[in-house]
Amino acid sequence: MVVNSLTFLWFFLFVLAIYYACQSKKELQNVFLLASSYWFYAQVDVMMAGLLAFLTITFWLLGKGVNHFLNKEDERKAAIITNVGVVIGIGALFYFKYLNFFAESIVSLISPFGVHLSWTTLNLVVPIGLSFFTFKLMSYVLDIYHGKIQQEKNIVSFANFIAFFPTILSGPIDRPKPFLKQVNQARLFNPDNFLIGFRRILWGMFLKMCIADRLDIYISAIWNNYEHHSAISIIFASLLYPFHMYADFAGYSEMAIGVALILGFKVAENFKRPFFVIDIAGYWSRWHMSLTSWLTDYVFLPLNIKFRKLGINGTIMAIMLNMTFIGMWHGANWTFLLFGIYHGLWYIPLMVNGQFFKKRKIELNAKGWPTPPYAFKMAGIYLVVTFGLMLFHSADMTEFFNVWGSIFSHWNGGLFTDMNTMVNAAICSLALIYVDIQEEWFPKKKLYLPTWAERWRWELTVAVEIVCILMFGVFDNNQFIYFQF
Amino acid sequence: MKKLILHIVIVICLFFAFDRTFGLGLRYLYRISNTTDEYKISYSNESTFDSLLFLGSSRCLHHYVPSVFEKELGTTCFNAADWGIKNIYYHYGLLGNILSRYTPKEIVFEVHPCDFLDTPYSGTERAGSLAPFCGMSDTCDEMLKITGKYWPYRLSMVYRYTGTLPSLLTGKLGSMDRHLKGWKPLDGILDTTGLVAEEYPFPIKQEKVDLLERFIRDCQQRSIRLSIIVSPMYICTKEDVYKIPRELAFKHQIPFIDHFRDSTFVGHPELFYDFGHLNRKGAIIYSEIISKELKR
Repeated sequence: MVVNSLTFLWFFLFVLAIYYACQSKKELQNVFLLASSYWFYAQVDVMMAGLLAFLTITFWLLGKGVNHFLNKEDERKAAIITNVGVVIGIGALFYFKYLNFFAESIVSLISPFGVHLSWTTLNLVVPIGLSFFTFKLMSYVLDIYHGKIQQEKNIVSFANFIAFFPTILSGPIDRPKPFLKQVNQARLFNPDNFLIGFRRILWGMFLKMCIADRLDIYISAIWNNYEHHSAISIIFASLLYPFHMYADFAGYSEMAIGVALILGFKVAENFKRPFFVIDIAGYWSRWHMSLTSWLTDYVFLPLNIKFRKLGINGTIMAIMLNMTFIGMWHGANWTFLLFGIYHGLWYIPLMVNGQFFKKRKIELNAKGWPTPPYAFKMAGIYLVVTFGLMLFHSADMTEFFNVWGSIFSHWNGGLFTDMNTMVNAAICSLALIYVDIQEEWFPKKKLYLPTWAERWRWELTVAVEIVCILMFGVFDNNQFIYFQF
Repeated sequence: MKKLILHIVIVICLFFAFDRTFGLGLRYLYRISNTTDEYKISYSNESTFDSLLFLGSSRCLHHYVPSVFEKELGTTCFNAADWGIKNIYYHYGLLGNILSRYTPKEIVFEVHPCDFLDTPYSGTERAGSLAPFCGMSDTCDEMLKITGKYWPYRLSMVYRYTGTLPSLLTGKLGSMDRHLKGWKPLDGILDTTGLVAEEYPFPIKQEKVDLLERFIRDCQQRSIRLSIIVSPMYICTKEDVYKIPRELAFKHQIPFIDHFRDSTFVGHPELFYDFGHLNRKGAIIYSEIISKELKR
């Protein structure tokens, strides 16, 4: 069930009606929410809903165990149980996502040395959203162990945290503390949440259907037949890809956040205008923020502490491992691994120059716009990201090299034009750029409306957004890129 | 809660006001468009008056030269075919819109496997091109209902024109050669390297077959002389692809003109633009042959 489909709309309206009909009974409301989440997840795969339930119960019991031993001040046993949780979480990820990749890689790596092993590729179906909910599960036991939260006594509340339907498929990856606090409170219907949430859903739909899906038509036409396209077309499509990814994933995140808000939950933000930065650290602090903050807290910081004796080299090692994890989190492929390492390498100059822990601000001129040197730096980071996403977009390394082969060999020929698609995408992309610029550099400056219309700002914005989606949108129920992770 | 309901009611009112305003603007642009496909579709649905009409998909669009038929048959002729692997869902809706305005004397329908087989690349979505004509005829509405988007089209005028704004805005910049009367010539000669016959390993789609039969019946009820026709391919599959339409034509006693394996064309790259479409020269020769057959 695609989130921007009519089927989801009917599902959501049905859930909403019953959810708030039982708002006076918090327990009932939570049970209904959980049932809705499992029903939603089972639409993707019934068997995998079973796995989700199994992992949820397992981690709930593990959390209970960790809490039990911490209360008894037996930290060693608590640590063992926490590690068991981490091993189960990583084990599930490894088994479903990486086993075939590692086995096949090992077989092919050692075969030149005369050792011939055989590996029959396992026909494994990766549970949808596995990378998202296993991270939530692991953070639960880790947070109990580190004393950040207490064990959740109510299994329904905990199961809601893991299976919460707006975020289970593609995040944002929520943390246990804020979510469990909210799920254990009474959630009454709040008209303000509805108004804000509804606007965020519409904005997400606009990003997805009017920008991402339009750009996808153009980019796919070139990337799927790169051998027949000119260098200029491939370069242009590649330059559009980061923007396409941003619109697609930020679109999903906006919709998920909006749906959650209408249900009374404030979930983690995922994007904050990621291209208005001047270094790679800035980019990752604004791109897929819920994942990067998770990895910072549970991977980078512990590693950095572990390697602190090595000084700057230790920090470099920690960041390289962290970025490799980010790359591999997306899937078992050499392209993702290199994507992570590539981004890690861009951190090294920052660390060497001592700029890693500093938040570098963009210098603005008197009118509030970035000065030319900073504008060039932003463009430079966009190019760095573009190259990385070319790796990300390639099905394998062969395709990546073939694309570059086409770029170097197809200098003859002009730009592939699909005027209708390009103009549609350009109009909507300009709207997104305008909104991002306003929020980044002119947050207090609102779009001017005459006094009589100011009273109806929300209504006018919503009506215009709906008409724009209908006018520029692609209504093919295209799946989101991050759905596959 | 009352305030929220008021918000929603105002949004609905504003939405309909904007939707109708922009929708009417888009409809105007659609109708005055000169250069694009929109002109062709709009004209075929709303403005044809000719005695002889050609209906079909891209092979029809490129193969039948109205001026040849007008000269040979002494009648007015328009090629109302459209490219984009259109199928019977679109053709039948278009027929409904045409018949809601007038009754042509003769229709020649170029049939394609997409009109009766369950092809993965040409399904009900092809009728979506009829969205701007929602409400024009019962048949058109029925086809739009099959796409599952009839009510969204009914509710929103803007949605009927989704994604077309750039081409509508530029639709008045040039002008389509109207003397061609719907025909779209292809210039170029087929490169025969690596060509293989196109196969159609798809099951029959009964819904499409039923619509094809209704197409025939509707024409017969209005006393329109209908011919089902198959034009030549450069290279043909050995299987009997057109068995279904041939049987339907036989059942309803209408002519089935089969030039699929016509030796005048098959294997002659100089008459083709690609393996399935005749070039300008091929289309003129073919139209002369067909016009003589229709005259008989």
